[in-house]
Amino acid sequence: MALNAKEPKGPLKDKWRLYNEHKNLVNPANRKKIDIIVVGAGLSGGGASASLAELGYNVKTFFFQDSARRSHSVAAQGGVNAAKNYQNDGDTIYKMFYDTIKGGDYRSREANVYRMAQLSVDLIDHMTAQGVPFGREYSGYLSNRSFGGVLVSRTFYARGQTGQQLLMATYQAMMKQVKKGTLTQYNRHEILDFVLIDGKARGVIVRDLVTGKIERHSAHAVVLGTGGFGKIYYLSTLAMNSNGSATWRAHKKGAFFANPSWTQIHPTALPQAGDQQSKLTLMSESLRNDGRIWVPLKKDDDRLPNDIPDEERDYYLERRYPAFGNLVPRDVASRAAKERMDAGHGIGKLKNAVYLDFRTAIGKLGVDTIKERYGNLFTMYKKITGIDAYKEPMKISPAAHFSMGGLWVDYELGTTIPGLYAVGEANFADHGANRLGANSLLQASVDGNFVLPNTISNYLADEIRTGPIPTDTKEFDEAEKAVKDQIDKLLSIKGKTPVDRIHRALGKIMFKEVAMARNEKGLIWAIEEIKKLRKQFWTDAAITGDADGMNSELEKAGRLADYLEIAELMAIDALSRNESCGAHFREEFVSDDGEAERNDEEFMYSAAWEWLGKPDWKLHKEHLEFHDIEVKTRSYK
Amino acid sequence: MAFKLGLFKTSVARKNVMAITGLFTAFFLIIHLAGNLILILPDSMFPIEFWGNVANQHDMYNAYSHFLVHFWPISIVAYILYAGLALHVVDAIIITLTNHKAKGEKYVKTDNSTSTWYSRNMGILGTIIGIFIVIHMGQFWLKYKVLGTEHDLYDLVVRTFKLTWVVVLYEIGIIALGFHLVHGFTSAHRSLGMYPKSWMKILKYIGVCFGIGMAVLYGIIPLIIYFQ
Amino acid sequence: MKITLKIWRQESAKAKGKLETYQLNEVEQDMSFLEMLDMLNEDLAVKGERSVEFDHDCREGICGQCSLVINGQAHGPESHYTTCQTHMRSFKDGDTIFIEPFRAKAFPVIRDLKVNRDSFDTIIQAGGYISAFTGNAPEANNIPIHHDISESAFDSAACIGCGACVATCKNSSAALFVSAKISHLAKLPQGKVERKERVEWMITAHDEEGFGSCTHTGACAMVCPQEVQLLDITRMNFEFNRALCIS
Repeated sequence: MALNAKEPKGPLKDKWRLYNEHKNLVNPANRKKIDIIVVGAGLSGGGASASLAELGYNVKTFFFQDSARRSHSVAAQGGVNAAKNYQNDGDTIYKMFYDTIKGGDYRSREANVYRMAQLSVDLIDHMTAQGVPFGREYSGYLSNRSFGGVLVSRTFYARGQTGQQLLMATYQAMMKQVKKGTLTQYNRHEILDFVLIDGKARGVIVRDLVTGKIERHSAHAVVLGTGGFGKIYYLSTLAMNSNGSATWRAHKKGAFFANPSWTQIHPTALPQAGDQQSKLTLMSESLRNDGRIWVPLKKDDDRLPNDIPDEERDYYLERRYPAFGNLVPRDVASRAAKERMDAGHGIGKLKNAVYLDFRTAIGKLGVDTIKERYGNLFTMYKKITGIDAYKEPMKISPAAHFSMGGLWVDYELGTTIPGLYAVGEANFADHGANRLGANSLLQASVDGNFVLPNTISNYLADEIRTGPIPTDTKEFDEAEKAVKDQIDKLLSIKGKTPVDRIHRALGKIMFKEVAMARNEKGLIWAIEEIKKLRKQFWTDAAITGDADGMNSELEKAGRLADYLEIAELMAIDALSRNESCGAHFREEFVSDDGEAERNDEEFMYSAAWEWLGKPDWKLHKEHLEFHDIEVKTRSYK
Repeated sequence: MAFKLGLFKTSVARKNVMAITGLFTAFFLIIHLAGNLILILPDSMFPIEFWGNVANQHDMYNAYSHFLVHFWPISIVAYILYAGLALHVVDAIIITLTNHKAKGEKYVKTDNSTSTWYSRNMGILGTIIGIFIVIHMGQFWLKYKVLGTEHDLYDLVVRTFKLTWVVVLYEIGIIALGFHLVHGFTSAHRSLGMYPKSWMKILKYIGVCFGIGMAVLYGIIPLIIYFQ
Repeated sequence: MKITLKIWRQESAKAKGKLETYQLNEVEQDMSFLEMLDMLNEDLAVKGERSVEFDHDCREGICGQCSLVINGQAHGPESHYTTCQTHMRSFKDGDTIFIEPFRAKAFPVIRDLKVNRDSFDTIIQAGGYISAFTGNAPEANNIPIHHDISESAFDSAACIGCGACVATCKNSSAALFVSAKISHLAKLPQGKVERKERVEWMITAHDEEGFGSCTHTGACAMVCPQEVQLLDITRMNFEFNRALCIS
């Protein structure tokens, strides 16, 4: 099967307009005859649900949280980018497009990225109209921040809770449609499988997490807005219940999975403090504006940070990257920290952190200025660690954060299964091999609110004569049986190792070999270890409780079963890409001075993997072409 | 219109009724106090040619009482007051019952450090005040105005406050009233929606002063008479 | 640290629940409260017993899913923390900790420590939004909003919908939750168009969902993880009375 990105013809800046001018539409009277299932209720899924429901489609939204307002988009801190050029600093849609392509190390699709930059402008208007209290100047006009990897201020923010505020607006738009009756929400429901009829996505099998009942739901199209799978590392900045199961089960039904190994490791999270730790809290990247990152020059230096004199400190980012210093992009900063820790200079009880020091900034600007800029972050730091960061340096550590990879989608955001769409972090588009700060909220919101509702009509126009889809067909029977069998299988293991313990072991393997720096030997080792662990899971996992009723151990086990397969594909994907690009850093492929080295001759493609069963995969390549941008080497020296 | 009437049954509207009746009653307390203070002012305060031929505290107080009972506009205000008080009580009962229904199972372990005891127990304080009012009216209003068995109110007041149990009872009632006012005053303004932050700060301060002031001034009258 | 736990166990909404006692011997100070519960659940899994069900998700204090009453206090002993931000360093070796679900008629227990907070969604559905359809929006800078007003709207909008206010309130009132949304939208020019209907519908929904009335004890604002202020309730009452007066 050849990949068809369905990019519209025409000049880059006109593609979206031309697409809209020529696409098929569904007339308003027909829309209410069409059912759409949306999975996930964050910015992408929720935005899609609300916008589609506004258009008059029958929307059913499924999510595992108790309310759509808790989707993990809520946790995004920094902001959302938009090429508004409010600061008069010369920002344009093209500049934003350029920054995103470059930040992604030339591994994303031009047309999609350009469209995201174009629609960013509308998004800010939309969110403001919905009541998002963006930061403002005293004049009453919107204020902007600057973020890593760009030369203009284009980031809109609502304090350190931008994601929450955007999500509230989206959630409220959803609730409005629930009241109108065009949207039905199914909270505490988890998708377990997809139903394909004649090759088209026609429904889902879900488990009601409260009663344990397995339900069937049919629709003319299915949209996935289920986010990323970074929780595969166990310790990550993601929510505990974020998972890759929906995308993965779609993959197993025929949707290609693209660039699975590209995971952004965020450099400034709080380090692991003990074995029982479940989560690494993110500290905003903005701290690097005033904080200096260092480790002791001496190995295993056990002195308190304030006792180490300046000449015995190694400000390694400033040393290695004099031009950008502490403000190098996320992937570079994370890798540099790992390099120091591996060399034995890590600090803290577990030697897994580096210092982020504000002493210089406090000395220069005074405590008050620092408090005003980062007060809430210092408070958060204190809440979690109990340490006053005004007096001693913060301890920070890299943590898994964002999945650039995901379901392969074309320009219309359709996966390789007709009628199955993927929006937001669940798809692979837009970010290439590394995501720029404040672009994730943007992509999720734009996909859900502006792109999908427009592209899906092109598909649904042919569905107006289909009529309601019955759920008593053999395809639904088979899918339901498979789901029930898997639940029975999980519950019959009755082993001795708790699910979380296996997940932690998986996380360790992944973080060691399939994270910031990868090499052939390590990846091959990781694949073997993952297979062993998968075997251990299916023979020795301790999954208690039963299937009829609430059972979070069973939920976790189902998700882990999928992670244990995703992990293997991630390692295989990393192994197949013999180059370093963005977040994918292969130690064998570096320049003479130790920096990442791309291989555009051989690897200028997105790797889309097709599931062949028992796990095995076939690679399909979507070759990337850059017509409107010159391909260069990223350098931050 | 049916919907609009429905709005008057909402929790916020019910709280408004509590607030308005409460504040009205609280305002009456000031008037009532003005009369009562005659009881503790020294004779020298009363000029001889004041208000007819009244010469002392005794006559002044009785003249004041006589005026209250026989001046008809005051009676109208009094009936509004009784109605307001009754509404305050009925509304409180309805609210308490609704709130009771809203509660889930009881917590096994409780911790109340997040609020003051009197703000949580307005109902109990109100009940104490209610009982107190009934006794208080039985002792004076009933005998003087309704039954007419007593004609010299001043004399009745002094006689009553020489009884130890009465003074103790009054002090309890008045302390309850003080706490009820401290919370009730600000709470009523909150219910009515006096939201500017600066107002709220001032109102909170006034509420505390008002509650304590009323309790102290009302509280010393029986004590002074008792120890005279 | 050795910790004794008294945890509320309840099979379903209709079943009767009771406190069960558990013992943990290797709790560390650096653990978060929920990690301590993870530890307990791992012990239970090894023993083959059903795990303790509790709600949690982001574990960084923003999603609002975690919902425990710890020693009688919603979200634990520290004020303005969520349960997931509470760490074991707030407790001492040998402590006995009572863990109960949020309690209110409108928050029925689903199982153990998980409660159903759908009523919050219902309240927002009643009117907690601005009816601007996708694609309708005017240019964002067309409506200048004073910095302080925008910030004040943010203070209210910060509500995470956890329900600690209801759990703490002696009347199980959701006034703080409702008022946060009403204030957020009433403060902004975009939200002023629908303010009358919004407050009427949302307060009616609040009462219909079976929450009690507000008596301004202030306990809700003391536990609120986002420090939503009691003043918002006053603002809501103002909006309500305004709606009554102009109708």
